[in-house]
Amino acid sequence: MTTPGAKLKKRTLMVTHSSRALNGSISGLHQVNHSSRHTGSNVSRKGLSMAGDSRSTIQTPRQTVRVLNENGTDVTPQPISHPEPGAKHNRVYLDEFSGPSDILSMLYQPTTAASLTVPFSRSVFCSSKISRSSLSTIESVNEERVDTFYKQDNYPASYVQVEREEVKEQVTEDMLNEVVNIYLTETETITHLDMPGISVSVDADDAEAIKERNNRYAELCKNRMGNDKYMDRSMQAFIGASKSKQVQCDSIVMVDTACEATTWDMYDSFYGAEQDKTELTAEPEKSGYSESIVNSSRGPEKTTSLLSTTSIATSASSSQREIETGMCSDDAADPRLILQSEKFQKVLLVMERCILANIFQPKLAAYRQLPIVEDCDSVVTPETMEHREEDVERSLSPTLESLWVFSCELTKGRTISCMAWNKKNPDLLAVGYGEFDFRDQTPGLVCCWSLKNPTWPERVYHCNTGVTSLDFSAKHPYRLAVGMTDGTIAIYYVYSQDKTCAVSSSKCSKKHYSSTWQVKWAEQDMGLSGDDKEEALMSISADGRISKWFLHDDLDCVELMRLKRMQEEKDEMETEVKDKKKKGEILRSLNAGFCFDFHPVDSSIYLAGSIDGTIYKCSSSNSQQFLETYSQHFGPVTRIKWCPFNPNVFLSCSLDWTIKLWIQDQLTPLLCLTSTQKQVHDIMWSPKWATVFGAINEGQMKIWNLDYSTLDPVIVHMAAPGVKMTSLLFALQTDCVLVGDNSGQVTVYQIKNFTVGEGNQVDTLESIISSAVARL
Amino acid sequence: MASEVEETLKRIEGQRGVVGTVVCNADGIPIRSSLDGVATAQYARLLRKLTVMAKSAVRDIDPQNDLTFLRLRSQKCEIMVGLENEFLVIVIQNLHQ
Repeated sequence: MTTPGAKLKKRTLMVTHSSRALNGSISGLHQVNHSSRHTGSNVSRKGLSMAGDSRSTIQTPRQTVRVLNENGTDVTPQPISHPEPGAKHNRVYLDEFSGPSDILSMLYQPTTAASLTVPFSRSVFCSSKISRSSLSTIESVNEERVDTFYKQDNYPASYVQVEREEVKEQVTEDMLNEVVNIYLTETETITHLDMPGISVSVDADDAEAIKERNNRYAELCKNRMGNDKYMDRSMQAFIGASKSKQVQCDSIVMVDTACEATTWDMYDSFYGAEQDKTELTAEPEKSGYSESIVNSSRGPEKTTSLLSTTSIATSASSSQREIETGMCSDDAADPRLILQSEKFQKVLLVMERCILANIFQPKLAAYRQLPIVEDCDSVVTPETMEHREEDVERSLSPTLESLWVFSCELTKGRTISCMAWNKKNPDLLAVGYGEFDFRDQTPGLVCCWSLKNPTWPERVYHCNTGVTSLDFSAKHPYRLAVGMTDGTIAIYYVYSQDKTCAVSSSKCSKKHYSSTWQVKWAEQDMGLSGDDKEEALMSISADGRISKWFLHDDLDCVELMRLKRMQEEKDEMETEVKDKKKKGEILRSLNAGFCFDFHPVDSSIYLAGSIDGTIYKCSSSNSQQFLETYSQHFGPVTRIKWCPFNPNVFLSCSLDWTIKLWIQDQLTPLLCLTSTQKQVHDIMWSPKWATVFGAINEGQMKIWNLDYSTLDPVIVHMAAPGVKMTSLLFALQTDCVLVGDNSGQVTVYQIKNFTVGEGNQVDTLESIISSAVARL
Repeated sequence: MASEVEETLKRIEGQRGVVGTVVCNADGIPIRSSLDGVATAQYARLLRKLTVMAKSAVRDIDPQNDLTFLRLRSQKCEIMVGLENEFLVIVIQNLHQ
C-alpha cells in the first residue's frame, strides 16, 4: 500500500490503471476531478486503495490531504464522524453529492470493496450524527465521509440489497420512534469568485508604493515608443468559430394606461378610512346598504376611481367606463331603500322649493322688496305687451296687490282663526284652522307654512277640536302653543316631523273648561330682581280665568286672574250694608275673557277684554284686583293691541262695529273709529309705522292711517264674494299683509302706493294723541 | 315615510310647468321616472356625466366640499338635479306658459 499522500497524488494515475476500458472518457474525468478540486476548500477524500483489500483498509484514517493557507497553518477540514474500527457497514453520507460528477469520480476511485449504493435515498440517512442537512448542490464538499461500495463482481447484488434493506430497516424502527433533533448551522462562507478591486484608497498604507508604481508605469508607457528596450511582437490568439443563432421571443403586448390623481381623490384616500370609522360609529343604526355604500366609496383601494378619473380627464370616454365613474359603484343598492331614505326626502324638499321658486319668483321678489327682473327669454306676445301697459296706467292710489295664496286641499273650506309668525325664522308662518261657532265641532288643524312653499305646508297637525289661537315662543322658537275650543292647550315642537303634540293640558286638573280664546308667551319676572325673566304661557278663556302655565314634564297652571263681573260687584257693595253679607258669598259667574295683550315694555301689566265689552287692566302680581277697568264697548271685545311704538296707547276692537283708541290712564277712549256697520274681528298695528293699523270686518279689510284721516280708512279691500275675512297679520319686515278667510286661504297682499311720512311716525302719533286729549 | 315621499313626488310632478322627473341610482340607472323610456334614458345618461364632472370640479377645489344641487337653465326649460352619494333626482321644468 502506498502512503496516503502518494495515494492522493497518484489518484489520477490509479484511476487510469483500474479503468482502462474507459480511457476515452478519462480525460473528461480528469477534468471533472480537477474541477471538483478547484474549489475553495479542499476535499478530504479518502484515498481508497486499489487492491481488493479487506475493508479494514478503508477504515484507516485517510488524512491524505493537508491544506495549508497563506500563513502556513494547517486548515485541513476535519471529518465529521469517525467510524468505529470494526464496523461492518459503511454508511454513505450523501448530503453533499453534487450530481454525476461526484458520483463518477467516486466510481473510479480505487477501492477494494467499494460498491456504490444508490445515492438517491437521501432522506433515509438522517441520523442524528449528521450535522449538515443541507441538500444543496454545492460542488465543494467540506467534510464527508465517503465510504463507497464499489460494485464489483465479488459482491453479489443480493448482499448489497440486503445491506440496503437492513439499513433501511434500522431507520424505520428506530428513527420513527425517537425525536429527531436537527441542527441547522451555517456553513462557512464559500467564495466562488473573488475579484478584489484595483483601486486603492489614498489613505491606505501602501498607497505611496502604488502611486510610485503607477508613475513608473506611466513613464514606461511614454518611453516605450522608439525605445530599444521594448520590441513589438505579434501574437495570435485563438479565435473560436462563431456561429449565429436566432432567438425569437413572444410578442410583447403593449398596453396604454394612464392615471390622474385629483385633489379629492387623494383626500379621499387619506381620510377615507378615518371617515369610514367615524361614520360607522356615529350611525350604527343605518341600514347595511348605506354602510356598504360608504365603505365601497371610501375604501383605500381606489382602482375604480382611478379608472374614473381617467375617463373624466380624457374626453373620449366610452359608455362602459361611464358606469364606473365617481360615485360608488354598488350595483346591489336596492331602489326601494333609496326611495325611502331620509336623504331622498331632503333632496325632494329642496327640489320642490326650487321648482316653486321658479314659479313664484316674481311674487317672492316683490314680497322681499327685490327688484323684479324680467325674464329675457320669455316670449313676448302682443297680449302681454298690452297687459304691461295697463299695469303702468293703473291708478296710483294706495291699493293692495295680491301676491299669492297659502292654501292646499287640506285647508279647503276651513276657517282661519289665527296666524302667527315664528319669532326666529321670519319665513315660517303658523296658521290655525277652527270654526268660531261654538256649536261647530269639526276637528281643527294647525299648519306651518313656509314662504318657500305656498302649495304645501311644512308641518300639519291635526287637533281634536277647532283651533282658536296660536303663538310661537320667543325663547324657544320651536315651541308652538295652540289653544283650542274645548279649552285644551297644547304645545307642539315644530322642529321634528313628529305629528303628535309634545305636551297637552288635557290632563291638568286646573285646565280651562271652556274655550281658550287666546294664548300668548310672555316673559315674566320670576325673581325679585328685574333680570330674572322666564317665559311663561298665558291663556285666557271663556270660563273667565287667566292662567299662567308652566312647562315641566307636563303643563301645569297657576291662576293669574279671574274676571269678575264689575256690575255685580257694584251691586254687592250696595247691598253689603244690609245683612245680606251674613248669608254668605253669592256665587257669581265670571266674565268670559276673549282676548288679552301684554304690555310691550312692562310685561307684568296686561289688558284683558271680555265678552260684555269690559277691558280690564291687570297686573300679574295682583290677582285679586284690577288696576283699571275700561267699559266703553257695547259688545264683546274681540281684540286688544298695545301700540308697539307708544307704550301708553292701545287699540281695541269689538263686535259693536267700533275700533277705539285709548290712553292707559284715561277711562274714555280718545278716538272711536267706525267705517262700516260690520263687526270688527281683528286689528293689528303696523310694525313699521306708528299711525297705521289694519282692521278686518266681515267682508272687508281696511288699512287706517291716523295721520291721513280719522274718519276713513286709507285702503279698503273687498273680499271675494261669499268669502268672509277672519284674520289679519302684518308681515314684519316688509309692507305686506296676510289675510285669512273662511275658505281656508291665506292671501298675501302687498301694500302699494302707500305713502307715509318719513320715519316711523311716532311723533305724529304723539301729536295726534295730544290734540285728541286737548279736545276731550 | 314612503307615502310621504310618494306624495311629495306627486306634488312635484303636478307643479306648474314640470315636464317630468327621473330618479336614478348611483350608476345612472333610472329607478323611477315619469317620462317615457327613451327620454328617461337620455336624461339619466347625459346628466350623470355632467354631475360627475361638476362634482369632481367642486371637490377638486375643496375636497371637504361636495356638490348637492345643480341647476341648468336654458332658453326653454330648467333642469334641476339633486345629488346625493347614492342617487340622483332630475326634474325638468318649463319656464313659460
